[in-house]
Formats: sequence, C-alpha cells, structure tokens
Amino acid sequence: MAADVEPYPDFRSHYRPRTTAGWIAVFLFIVLLALAEPPVVHGLANRIEPWLLGLPFLYAYLLAVYIAMILVLLWAMRRKL
Amino acid sequence: MEPWVVATSLIFLYLLVTIVLGVVANRRMAIDLEDFLLYGRKAGFVVLYLTVVATYHSAFAFLGSGGFFYTHGIGFWDAGTWTILVGAITYVLGSRIWALGKRFGYITPADMLADFYESEAVRVVVALVSVVFTILYIQVQAQGLGYILSVASGDRIPFEMATLILIVVAAGYLMAGGLRAVYWTDVVQGLWMYVAVWLGALVLAFKLFGGPFELWQRVAAERPDLLTLPGPRGFFRPGMWLGLTIALSFGIVFQPHIMIRYYTAASGRVIKWLGATTPIYLMTLYIPTALVGLGGALVLPDLAIPDRVFPELLFRHAPAWLTGVILAGATAAAMSTLDSILHSNMTVLTRDVYQRYVAPDASQAHYVRVGRAIVMGLLVVGYVLSVRTFEFLVTLVTLSGSGALQLMPAILGVCFPGRRLYTRAGVLAGIGAGMVTLYLTLATFPHPLGLHGGVWALVANFLVTFVVSRLTPPPSAETVRRIHGAVEQFVYGGEEAERAP
Repeated sequence: MAADVEPYPDFRSHYRPRTTAGWIAVFLFIVLLALAEPPVVHGLANRIEPWLLGLPFLYAYLLAVYIAMILVLLWAMRRKL
Repeated sequence: MEPWVVATSLIFLYLLVTIVLGVVANRRMAIDLEDFLLYGRKAGFVVLYLTVVATYHSAFAFLGSGGFFYTHGIGFWDAGTWTILVGAITYVLGSRIWALGKRFGYITPADMLADFYESEAVRVVVALVSVVFTILYIQVQAQGLGYILSVASGDRIPFEMATLILIVVAAGYLMAGGLRAVYWTDVVQGLWMYVAVWLGALVLAFKLFGGPFELWQRVAAERPDLLTLPGPRGFFRPGMWLGLTIALSFGIVFQPHIMIRYYTAASGRVIKWLGATTPIYLMTLYIPTALVGLGGALVLPDLAIPDRVFPELLFRHAPAWLTGVILAGATAAAMSTLDSILHSNMTVLTRDVYQRYVAPDASQAHYVRVGRAIVMGLLVVGYVLSVRTFEFLVTLVTLSGSGALQLMPAILGVCFPGRRLYTRAGVLAGIGAGMVTLYLTLATFPHPLGLHGGVWALVANFLVTFVVSRLTPPPSAETVRRIHGAVEQFVYGGEEAERAP
C-alpha cells in the first residue's frame, strides 16, 4: 500500500534567499527595520537634538531610515529579485 | 459666498465626478464575474498603484492621523514603518498571491486557502473573518464620511444624513460598474487626496507659523513632549509601537480588499513595482498630517475631538475654496476605502457563499445581479452600524487589522514552500486561538504588558497552528506539489524546483 502513496515534494525553504543579492536585500531591510523599532527608536534615537536639516532628530532619523528602506526595495526590483 | 457653501459644493462636485465615472464604467463592463469582481485581471501599474494607495489610506489618514499627532505627538510617525512594510509584503507575498490567482483562477482569499488546505471549513472560516472584520471597517469609513460632510456644511447636513448620502453614492457606482468603477474612481481619489493634504498642510504651516521648519521650532519650544516617545500620554511605548507596526501592515494587507487587488494585476512585474514604490506615497502622506496635528496642538490646544483638527484649522485659517478642495480630498480618502470594502465583501459573499453553497450553476449575469443585491444589504448594515456608535477612528481600524492578521499563518503556509507543512486542522485551530486571544487582549485585558493585543493573538495563533499541524495530516502530496510547485516556478523559474529526495 505504501508504494501507491504519492511522495511529498521536498521544496527548499522559501524563507531563505537563494542568491547573494537576495541575502543582501533581506539583511539590509531587516537591519533598517530594526533601526526603526524598539529599543533603538525608544533609546538612542529618542531625542529632539541635534536638529537635522531643520527637523528634530527623531523625526529626521526615522525619515532617513524609511528612505533607506524604500531604496532597498527599489534595488531589489532593479536586481529582479 | 460663505465658506460652508463653497466646501459643500466642492464635495458634491466631487461626488458627481465619481457618479459619472461609475456610469462610464458600467458601459464598458462585460457581464462576466471576473470582469465585475476582478477588473478582468488586467489592471496596469498606474491604475493599480492609485487604487491600492487610495484604498490603504482612508478617512483615518486624513482625520485620525492628524488627531493622533495632535494627541500623542511624533510617535505616530511609526506610520512610516508600517506603510513601508506594506510595500515589502506586497513585493514578496503579493506577487506570489497574484501568481497563484492567475494560475488557478482564485477570486477571493478563501479560494486560495480552501484549495491548498483542501477544506470547506477553511473556506467558511476565512470568508467569515474577511466579512466580519471588514464590516467593522465599513463603519469606520462611513463615520469618517459623515464627519467630513457634516463639518464641511457647518453641521447643516446632520451626521446621519451625510453618512447616508456618501455611502449611497459609493454603493451606487460600485453596483453600476463593479471593480472597474471602483478602480477608476480610486485613480481620481488617490490623486485628489494626496494633492489636497499636502496643499492644505503647507498653506496652514506658512500662514500660521511662517513655514514647516518654523512650525517644528515652535513645537520644540512650546510642546517638547510632543517630539519624543512615548508622547504626552505615554501611548507610544515599545510594545504599542511594535504592535502597530505589525497590525497595520500585515493586518491590513490580509484584509480581502487588499488581497483581492493582487489578483487583479496584469502581471507579476506590476505587483513587484507596486511593492517597491507604494511606500513612497503611503509614507509621505503622513508628512503633511504631522504638520497639521502638531501645529494644531499649538494653535487649537483644547479641541474636544482631536480628529477634527484639520477641518477646524481650515475653516478658521484657510480660504473657502481651499477648504472645499481639501475636504473633498478627505471625502475621497474615505470613499476609496469604503467602496473597496463594499466590493470585497460583495465578492466574498457572492463567490464563497452564494456561488459555492446556494446556486453553483447559475449564469454569470445572475451572479452579477446577486452581487449588486449584496451591496444593497451591506449598505444597510454599514449605515446602521455607523450611526449607532461613535468611537475614536484609529481604535476601530486597529481592531479590524488585528482580525485579518489572524490569517497570516495560513497564508504563509500556502505562499512559502518549505519542509514543514501547515494542516487544515492546524490553521483552523490557530485562527480560533488567535480570535480568542484577540478578544482577551483587546477587550478584556487590553494590551497585556504593554504589547499590542494583535501581537499576542498572532503569537498564540502561530503556536497553535504549529503544534496542531505536527499532530494532524497535511494536505495531499498532489495538492502540495501543484500549489507549492506553482510558487516555486513563479519565484525561481523552475530551477531547483525540488531537491533530490
């Protein structure tokens, strides 16, 4: 009976990138995401000064992180990941 | 001419534009379920981009976010994180959902999950979750619309009447032209709301403070508590920040009105471009609302309803024509979300309930008629819900997002092949555990240990899904090979499709 049962396919995990560019994109995105999350954002970044480009530090810091995250997505698109 | 006359007239002019678009869409529509429900799966980048951003941003983006900056300060800038995550999720997950929908003809989220998990129970539960939690969202948008029109008219149009007018218009063009009408009106709405919120915020910032940078300086001098975390009332503590990031990214994406949009794309590349670029619009919309909310906290410090900060500032400090343009933009923000939720609920109820269990072999024209009748029913339910309660907008949005968030393990199990498979019993038990935990951590003991209730529910959901899946039989090998094989082929082009056994 066991011989009649179709075996399950053994796909490689899709949670792990399969190319170097894929690893770079995932790594950069996660690091940047961590920079926009606690504890960093409630610790080091949680201040008004120094002002950056006329903006309070926390606001400008997060804006910079957000822009970097979007750039990672655009880079992934360009690399056809 | 009095400001309220100009503002109200511009909103009605905007409504007229949406009705005309609905009529034109009706003339272009084919009597076909895929055309009515999915735009024929041929939405290009520009249309899809604007409908996704207009749908994601709702009355909440216009009113609730300004109110949140006003009350809780800069912590709401966390919105940037979750809007960018929406892009990343669309890029990675949305493209897979598109590929599976195209390959196997899925129309609803329940189609995909029921097919993979080989379970009608999964179909019913997913359809239920989709409808129950988004009906709550209809309430939020309808209330937002009622707010806007009654404020624009200086309370001359009562809240109940304002809500009714706007919800009827949205349901009307949806019934006339199906998803095509929704997409076309969303294009107008997406452009209008973006221009309106930026224009309004900049005009107010220059008029009241001399410019945006001067506004920031004044806030730092007079209300520095608004510029650091966790904010004046201690709301944005680490657990809440993290929880909102998850609930308002994954939780919104898994709502049917967003997931169904993935099925409608003309190609997988359109979806990936969408993922890479939508955060630009979504995130930058919160830049002007920060100016409105924080500036409003200085100029109007004693507002009873913080959500009204933007319209109140406009009426007091902006020219009438601009107030009208901007409030019409706010109307656009709410309507573009409302029409999409009405559409997704109609789609789920028509496809997953009526076509599946009531009349499986009826004609396409019959299903289209049933879909229109369902919209009428949803209109009534949404209206009744919206005029009976009146809560702070963001709380309801978060509750809605946290409900759909409980579909996450089941969806990942379909879209991410791997050695460990989730089972139908696993995902059903997981969703059940998630819902119970959600109720406990949002309603009974809100946000235990400061961590958002949605996250507690998601953790419980994953744990139960994982454990039960280890103990119960997985989907058949044939189904796993068919569906995971399609994902593998889409993502990696068939190379290394399977490892050697």
